[in-house]
Amino acid sequence: MSTPTQVYEPFRAGLPPLRRYWKSLWSRRTFIAEYSRSELREQHFDSAFGQLWLVLNPLLLSAVYFLLIVIIRGSSDSTRYAHLTATLFLFYLVANSLTGGVKSITAGQRLILNTAFPRIMLPISAVVIAIFKFLPTLAVFLVIRTVLGLPFSWQMLWAIPVLLTTMLLALGLAVTISCINVYFRDIASFLPYMTRTLLYLSPILYEAADLKPKLKTLELFNPLFPILDSWSRALVHGQAPISSHLLIALGWAVGIFLVGTYFFLSREREFAVRL
Amino acid sequence: MNLPSVSNSHKTNEIAVSVRGLGLTYTTAIDRRPTLKARVKSLGRGGKQTRVIRALDEVNLDVEYGQVLGIIGSNGAGKSSLMRVIAGILPPTQGRVEVYGSVSTLLALGVGFNPSMSGRDNVYLGGLAAGMSRVEIDSHFEEIAEFSELGDAIDAPMRTYSSGMYARLAFSVAATVRPDILIVDEALSTGDAKFKEKSLNRIKELRSDDRALILVSHAMATLEDVCNDVAWLHKGKLVQRGEPKTVIDAYREFLQVGKSAAIDEDV
Repeated sequence: MSTPTQVYEPFRAGLPPLRRYWKSLWSRRTFIAEYSRSELREQHFDSAFGQLWLVLNPLLLSAVYFLLIVIIRGSSDSTRYAHLTATLFLFYLVANSLTGGVKSITAGQRLILNTAFPRIMLPISAVVIAIFKFLPTLAVFLVIRTVLGLPFSWQMLWAIPVLLTTMLLALGLAVTISCINVYFRDIASFLPYMTRTLLYLSPILYEAADLKPKLKTLELFNPLFPILDSWSRALVHGQAPISSHLLIALGWAVGIFLVGTYFFLSREREFAVRL
Repeated sequence: MNLPSVSNSHKTNEIAVSVRGLGLTYTTAIDRRPTLKARVKSLGRGGKQTRVIRALDEVNLDVEYGQVLGIIGSNGAGKSSLMRVIAGILPPTQGRVEVYGSVSTLLALGVGFNPSMSGRDNVYLGGLAAGMSRVEIDSHFEEIAEFSELGDAIDAPMRTYSSGMYARLAFSVAATVRPDILIVDEALSTGDAKFKEKSLNRIKELRSDDRALILVSHAMATLEDVCNDVAWLHKGKLVQRGEPKTVIDAYREFLQVGKSAAIDEDV
């Protein structure tokens, strides 16, 4: 008798065989690409106006905060505005990953109930979509930066590792929250409050250096804090980020990714009965 | 319709699916939509949030290539659960399932999982999720679209589809990809009379020595016509397996409905 192509046996708690899981995931990478493409097309981001909206939305947001900070508070510093836009755009990469990720499993119900595939594909796709939405805003930022007359420097390349760290963090958060949403469906409704709180706790409307020493502890509990500060230093000020910040950011991202993925993988086999 | 012949390496009477001592118990949420709010509100009251369902109990079942196995049983007998375990969607709680070949489940290509996307996108996504390559789907797509008779609607968002159109597309996908093992779960009798006949004919065409078909249905007459083997499940246990006519007659007797027209009807 030939060897079976698939064997299904009871699983103990814990992770599925990771090598086989990874192989299965890798062989389906076109799904992730195709899913994000269809999703973006469906949201009309393949048309010129759709792309314009993609840029316009964060731009309008930054305009609102510009009004608040530069006009009402009266600081007419151009780096201030550049900082605001740069960090806000990166923040939206994380926020969009969360909002896209939270319902990725519950919305994929039909697919999950009828097809065997690595479930983690769904939150990964949500993050890929968020990244595609982020890229044009990065281009807009570079235009804004040029218009504001800020000097370019090689130190700006530090933004690349910071961006990669952010993507890893966004992926970890999306994976975690998509799994939690299977068990508590109202997490999606809490999410806007959570992201809004995170927005105010992060150095976006203010710069990390301006923070009162008493509030410095914020840094410890907010993974976005060191990320956004490093991003702003590199991209706005053209300086190398504080190395401890970079390490803390990486630590957060890797930590959340590992814990979230473990949580997800050890539970995903029961998603089909929970949906 | 002439189908291109596919050369499978499987021979008749070679085992396709082997199910040994299969048990499936699962915990499911009582609430259809479990929420944190409800959980917090019930804190201290000790109310149960989940219930345990014993869906399958010590099921032993072998399916060979060349077999067309019909699965019958009343609602809640565990038919769909068994199909999902064989397809690898639900992990078993006990026992072992071995599958020798590629499996396609009907509806299983997840068609229509995203209603705001077009039928075309959903076919591609479902196929990719099931592990097919783009090229493979490309090569089948024309046939799928043609078989489903959806016409231009294939590019319309699936939320605009009627339930018949949904079912037609799903059937077309599953019946076109020609897997080694095809599982069709209560979807034989979808669509109008014409499509029903067309899909039944397609199932008959798909019967071949190098393929195993598993059909779950309540349409006894159809099963008697198509299958060469029938298994009867009741409350998670395998009651009887054998000649279609014998098993179906026993099942009918059990139901005490006799040969009334209602169960011959494809409902």
